[in-house]
Order: sequence, then structure tokens, then C-alpha cells
Amino acid sequence: MDFKRLDRVRRSATPLELDVVEAYASGRITRRQFIQRATVIGLSLPAIGAVIAACGPGTPSVAPASAGSTPAPAGSASAPPAATGGTIRCAIQKPVSIDPVAMQDLGGYGIVAQSFEFLCTQLTVGDPGGLAAGLATKWTPNEDGTVWTFELRQGVKWQNGAAFTAADVVATMERLVAAGNSGLKGVLEAGGAVATDDHTVTFTLAGGNGNFPYLVSIYNAQTVITPADYVAGTTADQRPDGTGAWKLVTYNQQTGATFERNPDWWGGQTPLDGTEFLFFDSTGPMITAYQGDQVDAIVQFDVLTGAALFDDPNFTLIAQPAALHRQIWMRCDTGQFAKKEVRQALAYTFDRQALIDQLFKGRAELGNDHVIWQGYPYFDPSVTQRAVDVDKAKALLSSAGVSNLTATLHAGQLQEIPDLATLLKSQAQKAGITLNVEVESLDTFYGAQWCPADPADPPCSGAAELGIVDYGHRATPDVYLNAALKTKGIWNSSQYSSKEFDAAFSEFQKSVGVDAQKAACTKIETILNEDVPVGLPYFYNYLAGNSNKFTGVFSSALGQMSFSATSKVG
Amino acid sequence: MDIPVASGPLAPTTPVAPGAASPISERSQARRETLRVLFRRPAFIIGCLVVLGWVLTAILGERITPYDPFNDFSLGHQPPSSEHLFGTDRLGRDILSRVMVGSRDVLIVAPLAALLGVGAGTFLGLIMGFYRGIVDDILSRLVEAFLALPVILVALLTLVVLGSSPAVVVAVVGILFTPIVARTVRSAVLSERQLDYVTAARLRGESGLFILSREIFPNVLGPTVVELTVRFGYAIFTVATLSFLGVGIQPPSPDWGLAVSEEYTNMISGIWWPTLFPALAIASTVVAVNLIADSLQSVLTE
Amino acid sequence: MARFIARRLLLSLLTLWLLASIVFIIVNVLPNDVGRTILGPFAPQESVDAFNEKLGTNRPILVRYVDSIVGVFTLDFGDSFVNGKPVLPQLADAIGRSAKLAGLALLITIPIAIAAGLFAARRRDRPADRAIVLLGVTSSSIPEFVTGTILVVVVGVQLKLLPVLANTPRDADAITQIRYLLMPALAMAIVYFGYIARMTRAGTIEVLQSDYTRTATMKGLTTGQTLRRHVLRNALIPTVAVIAVQIGYLFGGIIAVERIFAYPGMGQTMLFSAQRKDIPMLTAGVIIVGIVYMLATLIADLIIAWMNPRIRLDAER
Repeated sequence: MDFKRLDRVRRSATPLELDVVEAYASGRITRRQFIQRATVIGLSLPAIGAVIAACGPGTPSVAPASAGSTPAPAGSASAPPAATGGTIRCAIQKPVSIDPVAMQDLGGYGIVAQSFEFLCTQLTVGDPGGLAAGLATKWTPNEDGTVWTFELRQGVKWQNGAAFTAADVVATMERLVAAGNSGLKGVLEAGGAVATDDHTVTFTLAGGNGNFPYLVSIYNAQTVITPADYVAGTTADQRPDGTGAWKLVTYNQQTGATFERNPDWWGGQTPLDGTEFLFFDSTGPMITAYQGDQVDAIVQFDVLTGAALFDDPNFTLIAQPAALHRQIWMRCDTGQFAKKEVRQALAYTFDRQALIDQLFKGRAELGNDHVIWQGYPYFDPSVTQRAVDVDKAKALLSSAGVSNLTATLHAGQLQEIPDLATLLKSQAQKAGITLNVEVESLDTFYGAQWCPADPADPPCSGAAELGIVDYGHRATPDVYLNAALKTKGIWNSSQYSSKEFDAAFSEFQKSVGVDAQKAACTKIETILNEDVPVGLPYFYNYLAGNSNKFTGVFSSALGQMSFSATSKVG
Repeated sequence: MDIPVASGPLAPTTPVAPGAASPISERSQARRETLRVLFRRPAFIIGCLVVLGWVLTAILGERITPYDPFNDFSLGHQPPSSEHLFGTDRLGRDILSRVMVGSRDVLIVAPLAALLGVGAGTFLGLIMGFYRGIVDDILSRLVEAFLALPVILVALLTLVVLGSSPAVVVAVVGILFTPIVARTVRSAVLSERQLDYVTAARLRGESGLFILSREIFPNVLGPTVVELTVRFGYAIFTVATLSFLGVGIQPPSPDWGLAVSEEYTNMISGIWWPTLFPALAIASTVVAVNLIADSLQSVLTE
Repeated sequence: MARFIARRLLLSLLTLWLLASIVFIIVNVLPNDVGRTILGPFAPQESVDAFNEKLGTNRPILVRYVDSIVGVFTLDFGDSFVNGKPVLPQLADAIGRSAKLAGLALLITIPIAIAAGLFAARRRDRPADRAIVLLGVTSSSIPEFVTGTILVVVVGVQLKLLPVLANTPRDADAITQIRYLLMPALAMAIVYFGYIARMTRAGTIEVLQSDYTRTATMKGLTTGQTLRRHVLRNALIPTVAVIAVQIGYLFGGIIAVERIFAYPGMGQTMLFSAQRKDIPMLTAGVIIVGIVYMLATLIADLIIAWMNPRIRLDAER
């Protein structure tokens, strides 16, 4: 341990940064978690590198230069590779909406993220999960995390030639707050974003929040920065001028979109001349297209449909552990699952490892019936992992006075969910629970089983007794906790309402230091694991990939594929 | 409709020979003779055997499958071997077992749809062909309009509006088949009504309904039976296609059309068995039914 | 002839009206909170109500009926539920693509099927005839998605003869386009071969057995001359009729083929619209195919009338 070097960093660190550095230095968080936390709270990359270098032998040479040199997306010191020309063709699911503020699906996120950018973007070297500079170059919190100051990148231009300024950021944030963006809800309020000068924005939050930069990053997909005079409701093809590396050339809602290089992009000249996106309704045809050499990259696919790709030597797999998961919600207020013992019983029938092996061929991580993914730095592994235990399930059922439990398991037609339902049915049968599987198209499912519009208050109170719903990746669990599990949450299909949980969540939101967050998470994990409002058997990996003919393709776990550093090989 | 536009692939040429006024015993003797002729045709026998085979597996189901088609999960995507004759699917379920029970849904939905279509169609065709006049004109226009509707598209639209349950599938397919049958029966009736025995019956003072049911209907039975079989084949075809498109039978049923849609993309990577066997099952059933229909047509209508 | 055409046209319009009415009944038969379905479960109730207002789903049914019928006859199908833009322009592109595919399929199957039918009819009941009939029965029994899948695996993947997806690159020349469309077209052609071949065969047999053909032979005409002057014209009447009818089925089968080959034609658009419950788009698709079918049968009837004057005169009676 190079104390001198460490001390240098310590002396110039703010209390928040110090807290993270100490946590790492004393081994309470791993190197990967340190990078994540540090980038989030705005510790500069050279400083991060210095701490890592100082902290120990055996750390591979994550020298400041390499820790800081993320390729073009962060636009830092490394020289972009020489232009090689060409176009990459990418298969993506058909966007439902490319309205940056209102879009909800991966198709939309992926397309919009080509021309528009975020304040904070994805860290592309080392482990995923951290943040890199995007349209903001530096961000610092105050002592208790209630005020965050973001310094914006200079010399950025909109594709129509106008200059990018803090006014654009403020306007975007106001628009998002007005639209009730789920990531910012309760954190940022109207008027909370203020431009202190042309290139600085100060965010005054409703309460201390140690994760704020994530909420204005690529992981909160709707927070792309749009011009100050952008009218809410405009779609990206109606007004395509973003700040990003690619200019939208054509957009056909049915077939696809094409982009060409933005010659004035702040990150330099992209090696490729353009990108082309082809829209598909389902994963199957995407795989077919790839194998027929009609696309070069695939934005997202699932294991079972894309089985062939794993054995393909010419395919570069992008597999990111992610917080992608399915929640098996159970009504806690009425119906057959109102008793905690019954819910626990069902959870004990889950053979999680078998599910992971069958559905993901191992490419997933165990879930413990709570939404804290092990990839989060504040995850507490000390809560016992629930394993399959059919006898215990039977015992719990009889202690609750329930016999011959029969229920309908509702599922939407999405990726592996129908197969999950089939496997769950078979597993539950071993404990004498009969589940009748009903699969519907996704649109019908959301509106009829998961969160019907009536009754409107509390939200989702018309939900079915038992069902499976999908959740996309988030860099922090705030959305899961807030929307799905907090009392009267907007996506709370289980109608779970626990004062202890709500208190623990509040505590988590207010915590800023590593230890505080971890302590709050321990409470959250324990409460959820005990009450089981939702069964959560796994967090599966985000899978994407491209042909070996191209290198330098990156992807977030939200369908945003980055080609600004991509070049054709040979 | 005045211009003889053909109604389908197997438009009947001439109706069954007259003799409708003969006593019952002659009719049953004729029927027995027909059956004997039918069973001498290899196409008919093969067709019947195949269909019977699938009906048997549908009825006996899990009792005769080598593995449990719903709950037996082993290693996924195993190629055909001595243990699993048809290999295993993505979840490790035995494909032979699933194909055997996959006939169930389609062999309930398709015949019901065909019966609905033929029942309604025959009724309409009899009325239109016999009574003619204004009723025929109006109904013919309606039939024309229905015939112009593309079956799969309308089924798609209706299943979206009403949701895809087996009952809706039966109703939609049945109703869309009705005009085709009506047309066939109508033209058969048109030829019949000009024959002497009908005029004789009329002179005798028999009521229209009597003539229709007792005299004409038995004589158009031939083309009707052929139509029924043909419609049955089409129904299987259509229901399988709707399931393939995702609006027919829903998961987790082992239905053939659905099975093909679930794993057809894997064929390209060499995992052909989860798709090929259900597809062959569909093909074999429809071919068998059409062989039966073809034989029936040769025997009953020429 | 003019009277005949006029009469047929009038009947077609009548049929179109009936068609539009049937579709209207299907779409409006069940109470459906369309606004809620499209906007999703989180939209505030005011937006849903506003949306329903805009769609006019709360107007009296007769008003909506008249609106809908007028829309059909002016080819105005309203705006898509998915993106609020007019339906027809979006559909037009896709229809053009599907028409290309369907056209190629017919181009392949019609000459081959007719030739096969004629061939079989002249060798009636001999092995060649039985083989062709059997082939016809079999090939028309196999659904398009089955043939399509087999073609993809055998021709596309194993033999690598043709591209696996029908997504033609933009600005491709005619030959390249045909290369890409060949497999899906084949998948459809195989199914329709059966019907057309058998109908041609049946029609030819009937004509060959008829009196006037025998008269012609007795007059001293060779088989070839007989064939050309008398048989072909009349034998092909049922064939022309069948082809017109097949056009209706074609647009059904094309959906499955487009799915397998990922071809962005009308079929894919319809499927997507079905998933998104975009009812105006679906309605437009149904009616347009209906119109195409009616046009096809109209043209077929005109051709038949031209080929056989007796039928025309009969009709004019």
C-alpha cells in the first residue's frame, strides 16, 4: 500500500469521496465496486487510478492512462483510430415510440441514443456499471449529497449548428420532471435544475441522494439532452438534431433507420461512415438475419432463441451481468397469497439453479426474492440465499391452513417468460400447488393482468393474483423499490404495503456514504426476503453482439449500442 | 351468380346419379357398395390410417407417450437418438411425446370449424339454390362479399379484437368457410332442381321444405361430404397457420403450429428437429385428409 | 359487352359496400376501451378520454358506420393508432413490396402448373397423370410456413444458394431482387401449383371428352390443332377463375412467408399491427386485399367472357 500516494488523494478529497476511498482501502468494497461508486460521485479518473495503484500489489496495471482512456464515447485523451469507412447494419426491436421523453422500449432507447447524448455515459473499460463523462465532464456533490454541480463539456454543437449550453440541460430536466420521469420522481423537482453559467448546471435535490448522477445518465434512458426549444411530444425523427456522433438520415417506422457520421461531433471523426438499423418484431428473425449475413450486430437477444450464436466463432458476444429480471408478483392484500406463509411456500418451490440452467444456459445470477442485484456496490451477501425446499413449502402451506392451492399464473408473451411459467408450474406441482398458465400478448397482459387502469387508485390495485412481469436493467434499484414495492407505487402489482420497508427505502435514498447505503440495503433485502411480495429467481445477463468483422462495439444493458468507436476489421 | 366461376380446388362436376326416390334398402346397399369401392383405393386407405393414427394419439395422449410431454425436463436440444427418437426441445422435453399430444388442440378446433362452416354453408346453399329469386340474389351478394375477405387477415383482425381463445378461432374460421360451402351446395342444388323427380314431387303437391330435405338434400350429400373433408383439411391448415403467427392456440400448448413458431429460427443453426417434426405432422395430416377428400370426390361425384 | 362490364362493375361496388360493412361490424362489435388499450395502463384518464374523443368512439353507431363506409370508398382509413399518421401511405409501401413477391410467385407457378395440368390431362390415368395429381394434392396440403422453413434450411443454409432473408438492399437491380425473393416466392408457388394444375387438368379433361372436340377430331384436325383452337380456350376458363380466387388466399399465406423470411411487406405490417392493436391499419389491410380480390375476379370474369362468348351472352340475358 503506497500510503504517500493515497494520502495525496485523501487530502484533496471531499467527504463523500473520502468515504469511498476509505471503503476501498480497507477492503470493504471490491475494486470493481470502488470504480463504480467513485465514478458516480465524480472522483476524477486519474484519481481513481492513483488510488487503485496505491492500494495494493497484485492489482493489474490499471494505470491512470488506461483507466481514464475510454474510447470515443467519453471523448478523452486517446486518439481515435484512423477512419476506415463502411457501414454497420444492426438488428433492433421495432421501436414503439422515439419520443425521447415518453419512450418506454429498448427499440426507442437504442435509436434515440444514436443522435442524442446524456450528461453521464457508460464506462466502457474495466467492469461495467460505472459512469464516464458524456455531455458533462465533471460532477461533484456537496457534503450531504443534496446539491450536485455538473460542469458541461465545452465546444459541443447541436447537429443544426447551434451551440450546446446549460440552458438546454435545464430545459430538458424541466421537461422530464413535468412528464413525471420515473427515475427523477421524488428526487428532482421543478426548478431544481439551474444554470449557474453557460456551462454549469446546479441540481438542488429534494433530499440527499448518493446516486444522483446515475439518474441523469445513460441508465435513465429518457434523460437524453434535447435543445432548449424542443417541444414536448416531438419525436426524434421529426426533429433529429442531437449532439451525438450520428445524424439521422432516414426513418421508416416499419423497416428501419439510417444514420451518417456527424462531422462536427465533439468526440472526433467516427471510423465508420454510417450505421443502419433494421427493425424486427421478435428475436428469431434477428438471428436469422445475422446468420444470413444481412445484419452485423444484434441489439438484444435471449439465450434460447440465440443458442446458435454461442457456438459461432465469428460472433463477438457482449454479455453483461445486469439487473434484468422477472418478478413473480403475488397479491399481498387479498386472494390466496395474502398470507406471508403461502408466498414463502411458493418461493421455496423455485429451483432457481435449474431455471438458470434451462432458460439461460447458466448466463444469469441467483435472485433471492429481493431487487438488490449483486452487481450493486451496496449489495449485502449476508442474507441467506433461499434454495429449493419442497418439504418446507409443504410445511408452510399446512401451517397456513391451505391445501390443494390452485391459482392462475398470468404471463405476457415476451422472450423466455412463457417457458419460465411452464417450468414454475412443474416445480410448484411437487409441493402440491397447481398453477394454470395463461399466456397473453404483451399489450393485453399489461393492461389486463398487471396494472389495469381501473381502479386507478391505488395504482395497479386491479392486478391479477399471480403473474410474471419483466423489468429492464437499472444502474440503481431506486426505480424497482419505488415503483414496484413502495406503498402505492405506480407499478406495485402486488399491492405490497409495509411500513418497515417504506422506512428502509427512505433510509436508502437518503444515505450517501457507502456504509450507510449498505446498511439500508441489508434491511431492505431482509424485509423483502421475509415478506416475499414478489418472487425473484434470477438476474440474467444482457446479451448482444456483433460479427468479428467489426471491433469496438459497446452496449449498455438498455439497448443503447454505441458505434462511435467501431471500425471495420480488414 | 350467373358466370360459373369455380368455387375451389375440387369443384364437383356432376351430382350423384338420380334414384332418390328408391326405397331405403337400395340406398343402404348403394352406400355399402360405395364404401367397398373406396376401400379399394390405396390413397383412401393411407389417408384414413394417418388420420386415425393422430386421432388415437390425441385421445390416448400421455398414456402412450414415452415421456411426460409437460413435466419431463432433461438436457435441451439433444439431437434424435435412441433415447429420444425425435430429440428434445429447448427446455429438454421429448419431442416425440409433444408431437403426439400436439394433435389434440388442432383435432378439436379444426373439425368443429369445418362442421360449423359446412353446416351453415349447406343450409344456406340449399335455400339459395332451391328458392332462388330475391333471397338468392341477396344472399349471393353476401356470399360474394365474404368470399372477397382474406381468411387469415380477417381472422387476425377478429382475434385481435376479441382475443384469441379456441372458441373464437372456431367461430371465425367456421364463418369464413361458410360462403365457399354455400356456393358449392348451391350449384349442386341448381342442377338437381331441374331434374324430373323434383318436378314430379312438385306436381304431387309436396311442400318446398319436403322436397328440399327429402329429395334434394340426399342427392347433394355427395358433394357435401367431399366439401366437409376438404374444409377439414383447410381448417387444419388455417388453424396451424394462425398458431404459427401467434394468434391461434397460445403457449404453453404443445400444438404443432405453435411448436414450429417457437423454434423455427433454430433451424438455421442446425437444430432442425424441434421444428421439422411438428411441421411434418401438420403436413401429414393435411395431406391425409386431402387424399381422403380426393378419393371421396372420385367415387361420390363421378 | 359494355352492358356486361357495367353490370359486373356495379355488382363489384355492391360487394365492396357489403365487405366494408362486415369489417365495420367485426371492429365495432365489442365494447373496447380503445384509448386505454393504446395509451397503456399508466396514462391519466383525461388523456384516455381525449384520445377516445379524437377517435370518436363515443359517437352514435350509425354516424360511425356512415363515416367508415365513406372512408372506404374514398380510401381514407384514418390514422394509425401507433403513430397517429395516416394509414394508407404507410401501407402503400408495404403493399408494393408484397405485390412484388406475390407477382413473382404467380409468375413461377402459373406457367408450370398449366403445363403440368395439360400434360396430365392428355395422359389421363396413366402413371404420369397419377404422379402429377398426387404431387398436386401433396404440395397444396403443406402450409407455406412449412415449405418456407424447409427451403431456408436446405437451399439457404446447407447449400447456400440463395440469401436467407428477403430484405433486398436498397437500389438493387432486378436480378438481385429476384435472387432475394426467389425462395419466399417458391414457398408460395409450391402451394398454389397443386390447385392450378389440378384445375387445368380437370378443365382439359372435360373439354377433351366433350362433343365439339370429338367433332373437331372427326373433321380431321390434328391433336395439336384441336388443342390450340378449341381445348385451350375452354379448358383454361376454370383455371383463370381459380387463379383469381387464389389471389385472396395468397395474401393470407404471404403473412407466414414474410415472417419466416423477415420480408417487410404487408404481412409483417399486419402482424405488427395485430400485436399493437392498431385497428385502422388492420382494417385497411383487410379491405385493400378484399378490393384486390374483387378486381382479380372482375378481370378473370372479363377474360372468361372474352374467351367464351356463350357465357357472356348467357349473362346478358
